[in-house]
Amino acid sequence: MDVITGNILRNMLLYAGAILNQEKDRVNSLNVFPVPDGDTGTNMSLTLNAALKEVEKVESTEVNRITAALARGSLMGARGNSGVILSQFFRGFADGLSEVVEAATGRDLARAFEKASQTTYRAVMKPVEGTMLTVGREAATAALATAEENESAAVVLKAAFDAASQAVLDSPKFLPVLKEAGVVDAGGQGLLCIFEGLLRGMDGEPAEYISEPVEAAPEPARQEGITRINGVLVNKYCTEFLVLGQSLDPDHIRDTLEEHGESMLVVGDERVVKVHIHTDHPGKVLEFCGSLGDLSDIKIDNMQLQNEAYTDAHNHDFFGNVVEFPKQSNGERKDIGVVAVVPGKGLAEIFMSLGADSVVLGGQTMNPSTEDLLKAVESVNADAVIILPNNKNVIFSANQVRELCEKPVGVVATRSVPQGITALMYFEPEASLEENLEAMDEHKREVKTGEITYAVRATVAGDLQIDEKDIIGLTDGKIAVVGQSVADVAHRLIEAMVDEDSSVISLYYGEDQAAEEAAQLHQELSEKYPHCEVEVHSGGQPLYYYIISVE
Amino acid sequence: MARIHVVTDSGSDLPQEVRDQLGIHVVPLSIQFGDDIYRDGVDLSVSDFYARLEGDIMPSTCQPSPADFEQKYLEVAEPGDTVISVHMSSRLSGTYQSAVIASNMVAEEGIKVVTVDTKSASIGIGLVAVVAAQGVRAGLSLEEILERVNYAVSEMHVFFVVDTLEYLRRNGRIGNAQALLGTLLNIKPILTLQDGVVSPLEKARGKGKALKRIHELVGQVRAKYPNKDLAVGLTHAMAPAEAQSLAEAFERDLELKDSVITGLIGPTIGVHVGKGTLAVLLHPKY
Repeated sequence: MDVITGNILRNMLLYAGAILNQEKDRVNSLNVFPVPDGDTGTNMSLTLNAALKEVEKVESTEVNRITAALARGSLMGARGNSGVILSQFFRGFADGLSEVVEAATGRDLARAFEKASQTTYRAVMKPVEGTMLTVGREAATAALATAEENESAAVVLKAAFDAASQAVLDSPKFLPVLKEAGVVDAGGQGLLCIFEGLLRGMDGEPAEYISEPVEAAPEPARQEGITRINGVLVNKYCTEFLVLGQSLDPDHIRDTLEEHGESMLVVGDERVVKVHIHTDHPGKVLEFCGSLGDLSDIKIDNMQLQNEAYTDAHNHDFFGNVVEFPKQSNGERKDIGVVAVVPGKGLAEIFMSLGADSVVLGGQTMNPSTEDLLKAVESVNADAVIILPNNKNVIFSANQVRELCEKPVGVVATRSVPQGITALMYFEPEASLEENLEAMDEHKREVKTGEITYAVRATVAGDLQIDEKDIIGLTDGKIAVVGQSVADVAHRLIEAMVDEDSSVISLYYGEDQAAEEAAQLHQELSEKYPHCEVEVHSGGQPLYYYIISVE
Repeated sequence: MARIHVVTDSGSDLPQEVRDQLGIHVVPLSIQFGDDIYRDGVDLSVSDFYARLEGDIMPSTCQPSPADFEQKYLEVAEPGDTVISVHMSSRLSGTYQSAVIASNMVAEEGIKVVTVDTKSASIGIGLVAVVAAQGVRAGLSLEEILERVNYAVSEMHVFFVVDTLEYLRRNGRIGNAQALLGTLLNIKPILTLQDGVVSPLEKARGKGKALKRIHELVGQVRAKYPNKDLAVGLTHAMAPAEAQSLAEAFERDLELKDSVITGLIGPTIGVHVGKGTLAVLLHPKY
């Protein structure tokens, strides 16, 4: 294929959208954290889908009309930082092809990629190598070099794709966090999916554009750009809008707005600028930009209120942070109170029913800060407080509370929810703090903990070869069982945990686990282990299908 | 020659053969299912009782009247005799109160009644009655017998586990275990009697663990009295297999001279604790 006509380009873009949509979960899983909570793939896919909706509206087969629609649609629909950067990529791509009407040559394509890459670098205040910026640049460089020797658009695109692949593989060399986590950069992988789609769409069959609605992930998922003082958000208004004008200067807008907030992104050209900023003064921001041109698509959200509503509905914080669960016992003053850290609503109810005075939502991937714990401890109406961290990553912050809090605070170093429940069973309101700590600590290991989640990427653990999406069962923090179905892994994990001394098996199922399946498993286990009592409760924790205790 | 007799109430859960062997007399409490009134152990068997307990009508107990006690005292004692009347915790039942009133009534007949508030229930009452009856058989004086009786009362250890706190709650006998209500998990509370009132001691996940823990707690009592023999009573509400394995474990581990007295929790106590309850009561011998 020597040139790319408008019709071919349209098909290439639709292919890119289909592939990104198909791969978005895999891109999401490329998280530096070993658990599934990423959203980069979803955000990029949503952005591209929005752009393709504009592309589909274009009846003309002129290349520059199609790319203009792509650029405008992606700018309008950009979600998350990765989506905004992608929109800039398309903006530059469109610029590079702005004079091309009938068909793009290999040289045109290479120039468009170069422009696209340059635009992404300009959009980001501090470019970081090893990200999608690098992937785009490497692709453009290879495309330009190839175009010098070969005019074929297909050959140029293939060279760009190959270079993008290599750049993605190389991304851990630039970013140590990726290397440690054994993953490649998610945004880079997303961009590679787009290159792959362009390549396959070029000579492939007409793409079936998969425009099924994508569930919007909470954005932004990272703590970056979010500041809290005493738990209250600073710069709480997420403000987004477009400025439409004739001779806009994105750099000038960026410099002026910088002092008004954080997590700022200002991208665009002289005709359209998209502004995203977290600010406490949305009025000032709008006032200034309104003086430069027409404002459009204005969206202002109060993140504090959104966060509260989101936390209520989802068990975890809008930003991946942990907030204090609003539930609290309202009893009279006690000698000793108990604060428990729990990863789900059902577990919060269980801990409260067992006598905890306050629960803080948190756990794997959402560790509460020392400040969150301190607030919970201070809110308990008691002379002394015992903290049950219930996760090994929370023990450290819990211990810090001991030094920060004026009242006596004790920490029972419970490393799992089952350990916390067992420790709480030995809490004796009449006994002293020291006696309680001793008894709770002594008994917390009487229980075995099992957890079932899924692998977000392939890895090897001991003798076990684990593929992505495999269901994995952990006992006391180590991967013990790998399988394809949750029920199968649950059975085998419990087999490994139960012995002749076991008398109680408890399962706490997560927010993604159907209650009917849990009930089914309950029945099977009751029949399989007649010498044990089997209990199943809704735990409501994210990501973990089951938390299991055997005692 | 003046004699000493031992009377108790139907809350003592003593097996028939023990009562017969030691000559212990029992005054029954009444059990009411709606309009139907039965006397415990007289016209209501244990198995019939638990079958009816599963039904819709929630039964209640009624203490013996002073006249019931008066009648029993007059039946067993001659003028000049003494009756040791051993009863359920006065904070759980009015039975002791009725006995006290009756004791004044028969004093005019020349019968001396010494009432004992065991601050206990079930076989805890029974074990105290056994101490009294054994003292009588050994030919001890009233003072010597009462000293042994008071020692058993003050050193009695009580551990029991219920399948559900519901019966204690419905009958208003839940005492300090109130705090354990409403737990979402299958928690088996290990309960005790403190100053004659139900109190929570510990919590366990599941009955198996609770029984294991009771075994440990009893072992701690054993260690507390290294130079003494222990008297152990064990009662259950339709849980014979669990009771038997626990009794065997005690006889194996506790170096007992006498075997464990195992009894059924009769209707008087069963109304308040429900099916599945197991109770272990023990005291060091004087």
